[in-house]
Amino acid sequence: MQLEKFTYDNKIVKYFAFATVLWGVVGMLVGLIISIQMYYPAFNFDLQYTTFGRLRPLHTNAVIFAFVGNMIFAGTYYSMQRLLKTRMFSDALSWIHFWGWQLIIVSAAISLPLGYTTSKEYAELEWPIDILITVIWVVFGANMIGTLLRRRERHMYVAIWFYLASFVTVAVLHLVNSFELPISFMKSYSWYAGVQDALVQWWYGHNAVAFFLTTPYLGLMYYFLPKAANRPVYSYKLSIIHFWSLIFIYIWAGPHHLLYTALPDWAQSLGTVFSIMLIAPSWGGMLNGLLTLRGVWDKVRVDPVLKFMVVAVTAYGMSTFEGPMLSLKNFNALAHYTDYIIAHVHIGGLGWNGFLTFGILYWMIPKMWNTKIYSLKLANMHFWLGTLGIIVYALPLYASFFVQSSMWFQFNSNGMLEYDNFLQTVTQVVPMYVFRSIGGLLYLTGACIMSYNLIKTAKQGSFVANEAAEAPALEKKEITGGYWHSVLERKPVLFTVLSLVAILIGGIVQMVPTFLVESNVPTIASVKPYTPLELHGRDIYIREGCNVCHSQMIRPFRAEVLRYDPVDMQYSKAGEFVYDHPFLWGSKRTGPDLHRLGGKYPDSWHYYHMWDPTTMSPGSLMPSYPWLFEQMTDVSLTKRKISAMRKLGVPYEEGYEEQAMADVEKQAQIISENLKNENIEADPSLEIIALIAYLQRLGTDIKVKDELSSNE
Amino acid sequence: MLTPAILIGAGQQTFAQSGEGAMGTNELLLIVILGMVLLVSVLVLVVALYMVQIIKTIIADDKKQKALAAGLTTEEVEAEKGPSVLDQLMKKLTRSVPVEKSETVMLDHNYDGIRELDNHLPPWWKWLFYITIIWSVLYLLVYHVFNTLPLQHEEFNREMAKAEEARASRMQVAEADIDESNVEFTEVASHLENGRKIFVRDCAACHKPDGGGLIGPNLTDEYWIHGGSINDIFSVIKYGVPQKGMIPWQTKLNPTEIRDVSSYIVTLVGTNPDNAKGPEGEKYVPEEVESSEEEEEENDDLASN
Repeated sequence: MQLEKFTYDNKIVKYFAFATVLWGVVGMLVGLIISIQMYYPAFNFDLQYTTFGRLRPLHTNAVIFAFVGNMIFAGTYYSMQRLLKTRMFSDALSWIHFWGWQLIIVSAAISLPLGYTTSKEYAELEWPIDILITVIWVVFGANMIGTLLRRRERHMYVAIWFYLASFVTVAVLHLVNSFELPISFMKSYSWYAGVQDALVQWWYGHNAVAFFLTTPYLGLMYYFLPKAANRPVYSYKLSIIHFWSLIFIYIWAGPHHLLYTALPDWAQSLGTVFSIMLIAPSWGGMLNGLLTLRGVWDKVRVDPVLKFMVVAVTAYGMSTFEGPMLSLKNFNALAHYTDYIIAHVHIGGLGWNGFLTFGILYWMIPKMWNTKIYSLKLANMHFWLGTLGIIVYALPLYASFFVQSSMWFQFNSNGMLEYDNFLQTVTQVVPMYVFRSIGGLLYLTGACIMSYNLIKTAKQGSFVANEAAEAPALEKKEITGGYWHSVLERKPVLFTVLSLVAILIGGIVQMVPTFLVESNVPTIASVKPYTPLELHGRDIYIREGCNVCHSQMIRPFRAEVLRYDPVDMQYSKAGEFVYDHPFLWGSKRTGPDLHRLGGKYPDSWHYYHMWDPTTMSPGSLMPSYPWLFEQMTDVSLTKRKISAMRKLGVPYEEGYEEQAMADVEKQAQIISENLKNENIEADPSLEIIALIAYLQRLGTDIKVKDELSSNE
Repeated sequence: MLTPAILIGAGQQTFAQSGEGAMGTNELLLIVILGMVLLVSVLVLVVALYMVQIIKTIIADDKKQKALAAGLTTEEVEAEKGPSVLDQLMKKLTRSVPVEKSETVMLDHNYDGIRELDNHLPPWWKWLFYITIIWSVLYLLVYHVFNTLPLQHEEFNREMAKAEEARASRMQVAEADIDESNVEFTEVASHLENGRKIFVRDCAACHKPDGGGLIGPNLTDEYWIHGGSINDIFSVIKYGVPQKGMIPWQTKLNPTEIRDVSSYIVTLVGTNPDNAKGPEGEKYVPEEVESSEEEEEENDDLASN
């Protein structure tokens, strides 16, 4: 056997690691800013580009795809080369991948504040960026498969299994969820509508957490934790069982984001049971991580790298227990739409992803620069600031959930809602929001200290751009037999195909019937397509990110119908959303639900409210939207919007495009006159008029039917 | 019923928001308190075990010192000590090969220096997995095959029916019989104070906190669009004027509350706040003698302004 000499590409790892730190700090800073806006709305400086509705997607995208994303690539490139004993397949592909990904991040950072959004959570980026993501993802995959084919190690280690499964699944998720019809540069409509759109979105959203925030990080854990601890992995068997069960079961759990909504019951139940079955597979990863540390717990006490990793793995165990508990419908009824979810994701985000990232960086940077951590003291300080930050962040939000949820469901002795003004339940939790910001600030301070420490570490060492290594070439010989899984481990293509099959099953079983079996979305005859002006208003609603704070999904609870539709007591029905491309159900109620808002207040109420919400609801924490009173509705796309909607199955009459413009003006004129009667002078072509048209339409179609049936 | 329902994660109605007002919260509170008690008990148990462990270590250390002093070697001392109960339990639950004997389960894998052990799947973990799978099958059977527990639509209907029953029994209480035909102005201070609270909470958004009118008409002058008698005011609040944006309050306020707020509104007449809206509708002059006296006073006020 001849030893071959080659080098590992450290430079690409260095760049990705640098991007991780940079975007991490930026993403957390945006998070801190919007957390302050939640109790001090003026912190957006009355600029449309910095409102909560536009910055919140920027925060989530930055921390998920920029901070965690870059860490995945840094860690994958570092570990893959070493686990497969080869340099990455192509330096060119590596660099296209790096710069392409940064370009995606920069386009997101520009387009989201400008209001270009699809409104679908964690998939807000518009279609040209979606295409760019697809291209770059393929580049990443090609580079990875190429490297696998040139490997000098016959079997693939468990970390590689996780990388491969993550790669194929994210590709499938992104392609299916981003199916959209472009109507102009940077504007598109989701291919799916209402219930179906919601199912696809949360199949995606849930599995973005699974296959972007979890499985790649488990891969990283399997490499960096045993390396840092210098201990053998606890159980190979556990790795196999928990890997396959995790990826197979995870994909089914999406509907737990839609419990008690208009999603068919059977799909909801599947979401619940698969979430419960997910506990053990998730904990398998935690166990294998923690038990690998047997025998070196004394080292954990002193080594910041291991400390970060231990807390990360523990936080992973915590949030993967919380998740299934939140999927039980009686608990979900209370926790959905509240801050519990925010606390839960931050245990995962700050604890699992953040702390594992920090642990890896503190281990990897000194290795690549051939030195030691500049200051252990600062690293320890970072650890305690971070831990304290997570606690101060999460605990107040759990308290907020408890307070707000009990207020929402509290009846008085008259059988009425005790807190029928939603605002009361918001002002009650404001102190908790202040504490949350403090927690975030502590965490961010820790991250800044780390940046300083890492820069100093790099400065004192000397960077090894191409690390020399040697290994015997892989012999080309036929190997048969062996443990069934070890056979798979030497067939990367077969392995990838099998994981693809494993993750496709769940998605197909849930989606195909929801799309094909009509009884899943019972139609309501009186539900009609939006008027062109309402469509424009809806697009403004999407642009401003109203759905970030307001849901449009009244669940079938007495407390909710009484709060949101006291007159007709109607909860939201599946058939009401059939023309909603995209759906706008929302996932958090920072403000009240809006699904039955139509006709609840006069036009003038909305006019004043959007100008300054505190005039209509004193103490409101909603920002003002003064630009809606200056900007003209962009009606140039009216015809295209109608045609696009028809293509997506919305039954506008053939040739309606020609009449649409006239209808826009007519409806705007009516609203303008309504306002005039209240002594408000408003140009009918203003954006506020279109928005009022949409808000007044919300949830009213179902009532038309009631009138008809009562006349019969 | 409660226990299996909780086990199966079912029955939103079982606690959360069951029945009427206070009851629902009480049950919820009970669950939370039980949870807290459980949590605290676990913590206490952990601390207790920890203390036992510390005491044991101290005793063992003491023994060891004595044994060493007696001339035994360290190995002999270690060998003398049997595995503790906790150790034995842990061993049963994890079936893991002790760290010292790792080599016996070491696989020939070596990935960039990472070795792998071939430990058993921890039995407790396996059982957890099996139990969740069994639970899931039961869940689907209970909800979708045997229909033992209600799905959300049915759950909603039951909840509403229960609330309707409660409402019906409440309506039998005499005071609840107040309606627009028999309502009378109340002077009782506590009633008016209650009315003020309701006004600030529910009416101020459109009529301004001082009643001067904004989107809704001015309630402090003598002009009324739908009549200014206590009966008219009661009726407008109860049924609303939907075409003008005034919502019906009968589902949100009970008859007593509507009486209180109507009476409070009557007391607003003549307060003459700043920036009030202009008069709308017809002038209303109260018929009773007492109120005409009030009116004279108001006229005096106006004159002095």
